[in-house]
Parts: sequence; C-alpha cells; structure tokens
Amino acid sequence: MAVDGALLAAAQTPTLRLYSWRPHAVSLGYFQSISDFEDLPEDTPLVRRTTGGGAIFHGDELTYSLALQADRLPSDLAASYVLVHDALVRALTTVGVTCVRAREGRVSARPQDRWCFAHPVQGDLMTDRGKLCGSAQRRERGRVLHHGSLVVRRPSQTPFVAAIADQVEPTAKVRRGLHRAVTSELAAALSLRPCQGQLDDHERNLAARLERDVFGADSHIARR
Amino acid sequence: MRPEDLKYQQTHEWVKIEGDTATIGITDHAVSHLSDLVFLDLPAAGSSVTMGESFGEIESVKAVSPLISPVSGEVLESNETLSDSLEWLSEEPFGKAWMIKVKLTDTSGDLMDAAAYDAHCTAEG
Repeated sequence: MAVDGALLAAAQTPTLRLYSWRPHAVSLGYFQSISDFEDLPEDTPLVRRTTGGGAIFHGDELTYSLALQADRLPSDLAASYVLVHDALVRALTTVGVTCVRAREGRVSARPQDRWCFAHPVQGDLMTDRGKLCGSAQRRERGRVLHHGSLVVRRPSQTPFVAAIADQVEPTAKVRRGLHRAVTSELAAALSLRPCQGQLDDHERNLAARLERDVFGADSHIARR
Repeated sequence: MRPEDLKYQQTHEWVKIEGDTATIGITDHAVSHLSDLVFLDLPAAGSSVTMGESFGEIESVKAVSPLISPVSGEVLESNETLSDSLEWLSEEPFGKAWMIKVKLTDTSGDLMDAAAYDAHCTAEG
C-alpha cells in the first residue's frame, strides 16, 4: 500500500505495478470500520487502503496498481473503469479465462458492504461463479491511483469469489502470460509503450516514509 | 450562475470569507463529476486545516478524493448533517451543503472569482 501511495504521489511516468501478498492479508476500504472485522482470526494481517469500497482478502491473486496523470484517463469516472477493465478482459482472454464487465447492478459499493467481492457493482469483472476482479481509485492533485485484485485461486476465507483457477490451471506459464498480457493490454489501452523499471530513490524513500507514518501506523489502520 | 460573492480554487472548492471566518464547500462542477456520492469525512471542530492540504475526503463512484482547503485556520464548525444528507451537495452545493467554517489565519492568493472559475471549468471539460 505504501508503494502504491508513493507511486500516486511521485511517479514521473505512468506506472503499472504488479504484485502479490506475502503473507496473505486483509485490506480494509478507506471508510470501513475496523470493529466490523473483529471476528477475523487474531493473526490476520490487516492494512487499510486509501481507496474506498469493501474489504479484500488478498490470497493467491494478481494485484495491479496503475498510477498516472488523471488526464491520461477519461475524465468520467465510469469511463475510466471501462478503459482499464476492458483491457483486463482482453488480457484474461489471452490465458483462456472468460469474463465480462458487469453492465447492470448498483453503481458503487458502500462502506457497509463488508467484502468487496460479495457485492458486485457496475463495471466489475464477472464470471458465472461470481466477481473475479475488484478495483478502486483514488484521485488527488490531478493524479489517479487505480488498483485492483484479480483472484487466481479462491481463498477459503472468501469462498464467494470467482477465480482464474475455475477456468484454467494457474501454472507458472499461465501466470507469466497473464503478467505480460495485463501489461501489454493496459499499455495499448493508454497508448503507451511498456518498459520494465524499478522504483527510483525518491519513490522508494517516500514509500518507506508512508509505511512508517501512515500504512504501518495503528492510527491509520484503526482510524475508524 | 455561480455565486459572485464566493471565491473558487482549481480543485473545485469554494470559499466565502466574512471577516475572519471562512465557509468552505465544493462546487456544482465537482459534484457533477463525482456523481453518486457515497461517503464524506470532515474534520471535527477544534482541529486545524492548512491551506493547500486535505481537510477531508469524499468517496464517489469508486473513487476517493481529498478535499483541499483554500485557507489555514481552526475549524469552528463542521456540517455534521451533511454526511447523512449527501444529496444536498447536488441540490444546494453553495448553500446548505457547506462543509466547514474556519477561523482564518491565512488564505490562498490563488483564488478565482466566479467568471474565472467558469472559464476554468469550461477548459477542463
């Protein structure tokens, strides 16, 4: 979360980050109340996102975050989701996974919706098993962070989610193919040419500071 | 027509300054772009706000955005009813949907009048 925060604040070029979670953890939506999650096992790692919506159990998944200037996305929020999610649909198709972007349903989630994946809304990526991808945006100072989770294997903690493994065995080859396809399809959708990179010193230092002062601080995690 | 007795900033907050008190809210343009507002988080009375920094957060259709303060000072009053009445932001963004009142210590010199803000919104689309 701290790295995503640093990219939102400081990335000099549009940046896509693909990552996974070790250990597996629960992320709370920015406006959710931690008291609603007291029934989780005591040793469950908890973080709080700076984006809204419901909580996510981050198990075996591909998490993506995209940080860029707002004017590189459609100014209409719903249209910006369509651009990103349609690119993900195409990427998933290349590894044999079929899903659709929901065109009906509620427009947005509510903080009282406990789990993100239990409450599909318009624009979410769905299979016949349920919601496959949940995502959220933060917009500040003319910049956007759009991050989301593509479920690879269904976690026992959130059995209502759809997973890539419902349709294809997530071998190392499939996972590599998905990384490549997500990168190339999002770049194409944004008219960008992808190249691999690392965090620069400023982004790394900012991420360390955000981890210490914000995302790792009890005052942030238990802020509500 | 946007009220001419208000000042506006590029991030779509408005401020009304009366003596040493500033009343702050967000504009109709911001509300129309955010649409389907979900949640609003405002500071409590007694807390301080800083010009150019976030004084709260608003969540709309799957996006969280900070509210940027055009002034510095101490929060005198927060519109506590607004969080449960977000439709007011669409109905009367410059009236009953005010967000906070601040006892001023500093204010931005970079505020626009209504005409300049209209042009800014037109340019932004």
